[in-house]
Amino acid sequence: MSKTSEKIAEFIQKRPRLHACATFAENCVKKPIFGCQDCGECILSYTAFTCPMRCPKQMRNGPCGGTREDGHCEVYPERYCRWWLIYRRAKKLRRLKKLRKLQKAHDWRLEHTSAWLNVFAGKIEPPSWGNE
Amino acid sequence: MLKSGSNLEKLLNAGKFVVCGEMSPPQSVDKDSIAKKCSYFKGYVDAVNLTDNQTAIVRMSSLVSSYYVLQGGVEPIMQMTCRDRNRLAMQSDILGAYALGVRNLLCLTGDYQCFGNHPQAKGVFDLDSTQLIQMVKKMRDEKVFMSGDEMKHEPRMFIGGAANPFGEPFEFRVLNLAKKIEAGADFIQTQPVFDVPAFERWMSAVRDEGMDKQVYIIAGVMPVRSIKALLYMKESVPGMRIAQDYIKRMESITDKEAAMEEGIKIAVEVMQQVSKIPGVAGLHIMPVMWESVTPRLVEEAGLLPRPEVPADESFGVSDAAEPVGGEMEK
Repeated sequence: MSKTSEKIAEFIQKRPRLHACATFAENCVKKPIFGCQDCGECILSYTAFTCPMRCPKQMRNGPCGGTREDGHCEVYPERYCRWWLIYRRAKKLRRLKKLRKLQKAHDWRLEHTSAWLNVFAGKIEPPSWGNE
Repeated sequence: MLKSGSNLEKLLNAGKFVVCGEMSPPQSVDKDSIAKKCSYFKGYVDAVNLTDNQTAIVRMSSLVSSYYVLQGGVEPIMQMTCRDRNRLAMQSDILGAYALGVRNLLCLTGDYQCFGNHPQAKGVFDLDSTQLIQMVKKMRDEKVFMSGDEMKHEPRMFIGGAANPFGEPFEFRVLNLAKKIEAGADFIQTQPVFDVPAFERWMSAVRDEGMDKQVYIIAGVMPVRSIKALLYMKESVPGMRIAQDYIKRMESITDKEAAMEEGIKIAVEVMQQVSKIPGVAGLHIMPVMWESVTPRLVEEAGLLPRPEVPADESFGVSDAAEPVGGEMEK
């Protein structure tokens, strides 16, 4: 990201109220639509816009071995396996190639921070737009 | 050039068909039971997996059990899960394991804690299995910790990963394997095969991608003692696929002894069929709490005698990386 965007991010992060507003705006969009868990290191663009952090094991690279035959989670049988959903949606949205990216270990310091601001601040990678 | 110099690696490298066993460490401090169980493996398998609190039930640590297995003259494959440790603890355990002479490490995510005997526990899951593989590879090949800090003497592990050929989403499983290979897995151990045609389908998808050439695939086999155990696997262990034929065969037998015989017969059949599939580099026998059956399975499947470990001319150990546990292995 550019210097300007870093400055904007810094400007917002230094002002608690403005920062709270920005975070609130992000949560308003991402929580209901994508099931965002506020990890601060968003990879939604790689996971077909389905938050992998809702997986009980918080798997960021793919499913564990325990997906049930009907696509449900082994821990919470009433829920779908996140990665089962991710795969299905990625197929529909033609974003299968994006699943192939190796996601590096999560930086837990970023938890409960705004991923949008983190992108602006250059702390995390920007999202990957466009289909295959 | 060998990566770790473990016997398992040498055998696989020499194109030998390997056989791995599996041992559950005791649920107590009973180290003698490990020594006793070693006799089921010595000369019958090439390496033995030591499970890391499998199904989230507390047992002796896989690190310490690996050390005792090594002392018993059998090569260990230490299992490590992401459930109980964060990246600091995992790296320190890997250093300790290497110092004790452990050369094979199987990187797993781990069964979720709610399935074990401490369901109230907090799971760690700081890393996932793919990231763990990445971390171990970085320690070995780049001599750095995950943080990027350098180390003088690196742990040279033969890195393993797991694959589930039967779990949903089926198509994703092959992609997931590709990711583990990219992360740095040297060998892959699969979930137990109870459905050979399904496993064949997965293997052919793996071969289509050329992945059988990039990684050694070791197929899992599990002997079951009774129809109850088989049905438990089918109903309570998600991600397992069991052929209807095996269930029918086990169901038809009521006698306990005869059921055990039938279970062994099925396992031997699976072993023979799976070993014929192109791209399969070995078998991993995982008799849960029934280790004593291992010699019989290996013998009946015609996998005896086990091959000699080739001499390691190609393993260039620098003086700095001289294995600390070298004396122990002799």
